[in-house]
Amino acid sequence: MEGAHLILFWLALAAYGAEAGFRLANVATSSAWRSPVFAGVLLHAAFLGLRWGLSGHAPMTGLFESLTVFSFCCAFAGLILCGAGETDAAWKPLSILVLLPQIGAALIDKRMTPLVPALDTPWFASHVGLSFLGYGFFAAGLALGIVYLRAGGEAVYQAAGRSALYGFSAFSAGMVCGGIWAYYAWGSYWIWTPKEIWSVIVWIYFASLTHLKFIPAQEGWPGWTKRLEMGATAAGYGVVLLTFLGVSLLLRSSHSF
Amino acid sequence: MALWRLLTSLKTCAWAGLAFCVAGAVGSVLIGRYPVLFADMDSQVFAGWFARKGFADPAATSWLYGLLLATALLGVNAACCTFDRLVQIFRGTVTLHRLLPHVMHLAFLGVVLSHLVSAVYGDRIPGITVPQGGFAMVGGTGLAMRLDRFDAVMAPQGYPKDFSATVTLFRDRTPVARGVVRTNEPLFHEGYGIYIKNFGTMPLGIPYAVFDANRDPGAAAILAASLLFTAANLLYLFPTRRNDA
Repeated sequence: MEGAHLILFWLALAAYGAEAGFRLANVATSSAWRSPVFAGVLLHAAFLGLRWGLSGHAPMTGLFESLTVFSFCCAFAGLILCGAGETDAAWKPLSILVLLPQIGAALIDKRMTPLVPALDTPWFASHVGLSFLGYGFFAAGLALGIVYLRAGGEAVYQAAGRSALYGFSAFSAGMVCGGIWAYYAWGSYWIWTPKEIWSVIVWIYFASLTHLKFIPAQEGWPGWTKRLEMGATAAGYGVVLLTFLGVSLLLRSSHSF
Repeated sequence: MALWRLLTSLKTCAWAGLAFCVAGAVGSVLIGRYPVLFADMDSQVFAGWFARKGFADPAATSWLYGLLLATALLGVNAACCTFDRLVQIFRGTVTLHRLLPHVMHLAFLGVVLSHLVSAVYGDRIPGITVPQGGFAMVGGTGLAMRLDRFDAVMAPQGYPKDFSATVTLFRDRTPVARGVVRTNEPLFHEGYGIYIKNFGTMPLGIPYAVFDANRDPGAAAILAASLLFTAANLLYLFPTRRNDA
């Protein structure tokens, strides 16, 4: 059973691969809900649920589980924000953003690892899960931002705005859970590590972005337009990637894989 | 009037946010580049650390000045914005949806101010090592801690699956608190949390445990403000009209 559950992982990968292939070949379904990615999300959810049951803890420890949960959250957020209509075009870049972390996960050790005592708390799953959900919305924001910059569209603009707002909300809740967890586990809700600092950078970045939407045109923000806002929404994904992977790979932090 | 416009402006929020991001990014690199300077940053409260090292080595800690200034500006901006808008809101139509962003502003201010309280009036007592059956003083609190019993459940692979310490706290030789401390389950007494950090065995085979004792007087307020922020944020997601903040 422990090895068999990985079949679901590979099937989800195949579905995401099919989605990306169809999109790149401009073979699109009428809606994301009737596409391979929807089947992929269902398979992926079953895989994560089964792995949770088998390991006895949330499948969010280590690089393999982090990458595959990241992929799942990107696909899930995409289904919420890019279901149909103008926003469906965002699936072309978004299917790649869903596929890449799943491919990354496919290339590394998939064995279930025991939980260290500090991670044995519901705050761990809520902190990591909500943070990744935020990352998923920010990934959808990148895809929607690209589509808006290339083709415009009010529905795409609105969906990209929602991606920043939803992502910010999920990420904020994740930070609160992380603070509570850290307070009980390590004696402080805040420690000075690059990961924590970058988490607050992500929070401040998207908090500022959600505020910039309200700058009235007559206030004369130099060059601040919808296009620039969409560019900033798309660029936010770079900040997220630096926080998620860059800090672990480039900087020394106790808060890494 | 110009100053008030500056303090309530969304542009100020944007520039302060950008300054925070730049200062934080620089700091995340410098923390790794100057490990000796920043190594003890978490083993004492921030104000004490900053008073000692921030002024002694201003170049390597310049990013912290940037972070503090940007945070202060964001806080002042949020406070002024909320005051300004609340006056307008209460002169017009008051709806929950118009109030929610300002509830979030006030919660953000609550977090920042409560963190300031913890950073100034908190306490960190790291590395209290106690052998089983032995005593150790808890810093300068006047409390003494006895490790009554230590238990560890080891996995066949050799890593600890679970470990716990039964401890008793004494003041003036009188027991004042007793409890089991394990990871994620500290013992709280007189505002201090007792956290188990490590364990081992002494040369004679007697187990010992290492504890930290931390006090964060702003923690409860931070929790309350964070939950308020989250609740307001979630409520804000549901209504459809969002252009009236």
